[in-house]
Amino acid sequence: MSIYIDQTTPIIVQGITGKEGSFWTNHMIEMGATVVAGVTPGKEGELVRGVPVYHSVRRAQEALSSGAVGAHDPAAAPGSVTTPASVAAPGPARAAMLFVPPRFTKDAVYEALDAGITRIVTIADGIPLHDQIEIRAAARSMGAQVVGGNTSGVISPGKSMLGIFPYWIERVYRPGTIGVMTRSGSLTNEVTAMIVEKGFGVSTLIGVGGDPVPGTRFAEFLPAFEADPETEGVVIVGELGGTMEEEVAEAIAARLFTKPLVAFIGGRTAPKGKRMGHAGAIVTGSAGTVAAKTEALTAAGALVADRPSKVGEMLLSLIPAPRQVS
Amino acid sequence: MKLFEFQGKELFAGAGIPVPASRLVRISEPDGTGVPGGIEGVLARVQGASAELAREVPGLRNVVIKAQLDMGGRGKAGLIRVAPVNGTGPDGADSGATGAAGTVAREILDKGYTIPALLIEEAAQIGQELYLSISAEPGNACYVILASAEGGVDIEELARTRPEAIRRVQVDPFRGLQGHQSRGLAYDLGLTGPLVGQFARLVEQLWSVFTQYEAELAEINPVFVTDATGAPGLIAGDAKVIIDDNSLGRLNRAGHGQFQLTREQYDSDAAYESALEGIPYVQFDGDISLMCAGAGLTTTVFDLVNYEGGSVANYLEFGGPNYNKAQRAMELCLKNRSSVILIVTFGTIARADVMAEGVVTAIGNLKPDRPIVTCIRGTGEEEADRTLRTAGLEPLYDTEEAVRRAVALAASAREGVRS
Repeated sequence: MSIYIDQTTPIIVQGITGKEGSFWTNHMIEMGATVVAGVTPGKEGELVRGVPVYHSVRRAQEALSSGAVGAHDPAAAPGSVTTPASVAAPGPARAAMLFVPPRFTKDAVYEALDAGITRIVTIADGIPLHDQIEIRAAARSMGAQVVGGNTSGVISPGKSMLGIFPYWIERVYRPGTIGVMTRSGSLTNEVTAMIVEKGFGVSTLIGVGGDPVPGTRFAEFLPAFEADPETEGVVIVGELGGTMEEEVAEAIAARLFTKPLVAFIGGRTAPKGKRMGHAGAIVTGSAGTVAAKTEALTAAGALVADRPSKVGEMLLSLIPAPRQVS
Repeated sequence: MKLFEFQGKELFAGAGIPVPASRLVRISEPDGTGVPGGIEGVLARVQGASAELAREVPGLRNVVIKAQLDMGGRGKAGLIRVAPVNGTGPDGADSGATGAAGTVAREILDKGYTIPALLIEEAAQIGQELYLSISAEPGNACYVILASAEGGVDIEELARTRPEAIRRVQVDPFRGLQGHQSRGLAYDLGLTGPLVGQFARLVEQLWSVFTQYEAELAEINPVFVTDATGAPGLIAGDAKVIIDDNSLGRLNRAGHGQFQLTREQYDSDAAYESALEGIPYVQFDGDISLMCAGAGLTTTVFDLVNYEGGSVANYLEFGGPNYNKAQRAMELCLKNRSSVILIVTFGTIARADVMAEGVVTAIGNLKPDRPIVTCIRGTGEEEADRTLRTAGLEPLYDTEEAVRRAVALAASAREGVRS
């Protein structure tokens, strides 16, 4: 198992005909994702690697619900036509991947929400703050989880991907039993490589994003990781600023999450009040410092590494014999 | 984008928020060049501005001279000062006193800060001081208004020592601010009489600034409660407005073209030039230039350099959309007096091979006078390795090893200088 997505989750790609959209849709399918439809206004009737394109999410969902569209045929060559209904129809999309510029992201998220989709990933970097507040508020009111922006997305290695991960780098994206949540892309490669080196792999990796208002926060994914039998422990890649790491500490203290948890938190020596790095990574006053986060997590019983190279050994001290996943 | 106080007050005035009568005296233009006439010209204009305010505001006895710069604690640092003016009021203040404004301005400028302008304001008759701010609350996906009857102090400090003195109201982004919320805050602050309605209106006006200009923060600290003419009133003593950088395009398209990046907002040429390029850059004064990819990784390398006893000359990210800007990034690093450039990347879309190629080309063009340590990984790293080795570099693959190498090189450079 995995959380958020697996190989059976039907996915719709918004912005599928763009350069990024078509390139990464191809990779998502390569990795095992079930991409059932794409959306680009004005491009209905086109195909992207055999995936039918619609003007809108609603039109795609109607077609998918009516059974007029088959699942994507994994054997299809890029650009080839998939015979409709040649494979068992997967029904309407349940997750959306957005390749949409920042200023159109709010509209695209609402479009997915209005079509009944509750798992939405946006990688856009530069979504206006007031839009982010509204996106999160709208998603919460509809029981949906938006991941991002400013993220690489979500990946369950070997199963499915809603995002832009270099899954072909085996020393990072090895299937396994560790859930990873992160506020940073490049740093995640760095940290995840350290746990793979110690014999671990990843069940699901979720990039919540580096913005001040992530659509969904660390602690909100903990219940799913707790319930997932395939996840033995969780690694959090946090950084200074905000309160997401403190919320994880609260969840552990409240016994909402009981599996082993190791955190790496960047920005311990960052200057106060200066914006260095992600927009969300800024400390004003005494709130949000790495010291305060470390203290909260340690008090709750988690282990906190002060450098990436220590994450693997700390995890090994909690999970001496990780289950291997083929 | 942090606005200067005078810019924030312009937005306030546009929304109907009462602000003190004022004049702005520029010391440098927004592009950073000095205004003609030098310091003596500035001081003369300060005096002229004070005299104008004295004529404009009946009974004015003092002006406040406020240095315009992005810095907390301006008052304590001696950058906000009161000066007497040639009053036209009934007390007939000393006519020689206009000279005092120039003297005080000179003392402010002599503090040695980079100050682009001075704001000369009427000094309000101050009774009580209040606090009011609006910002986002990410966890609850709403906005939050903070208000206190104990304004004029460091709000972080007040939150720590007397949290009960701060009232907070959450505003739903879809409902918007409601009348009962702004009125409720006024009553909770203990205001009475006409001040209740005035404070409620102030909250609504600040809310309109916050939403119209898509602010991260709109703060008035202090709000002065005045009773100069026997009738109580409220006036914004300060203005702190931070506009969301991600909204600047939208605001400018909507005709709010005043929000442009200008040299005066940055503390170095390199910081300004990198902002124009969209390259994240922060100036420090150590001896290792970071040229890394990814905000989180760069921040972590910053930590590791400090852990290993090194010091950072500049923080620079050339990942994401800038991964083909190695040459520009290296030029910015070379502007510093650093002794080493440390390049650490682990990219996906920011391909290792493209970045390595860019680094090698930049070295060829710029002929850097200092050693370069590389730890370039991610998509296309095998080819990156070949490219770097062909150019005579020794690629490293462990971040901490690369940091230690850079710190050692910086240390031996210091030794070399000493011997």
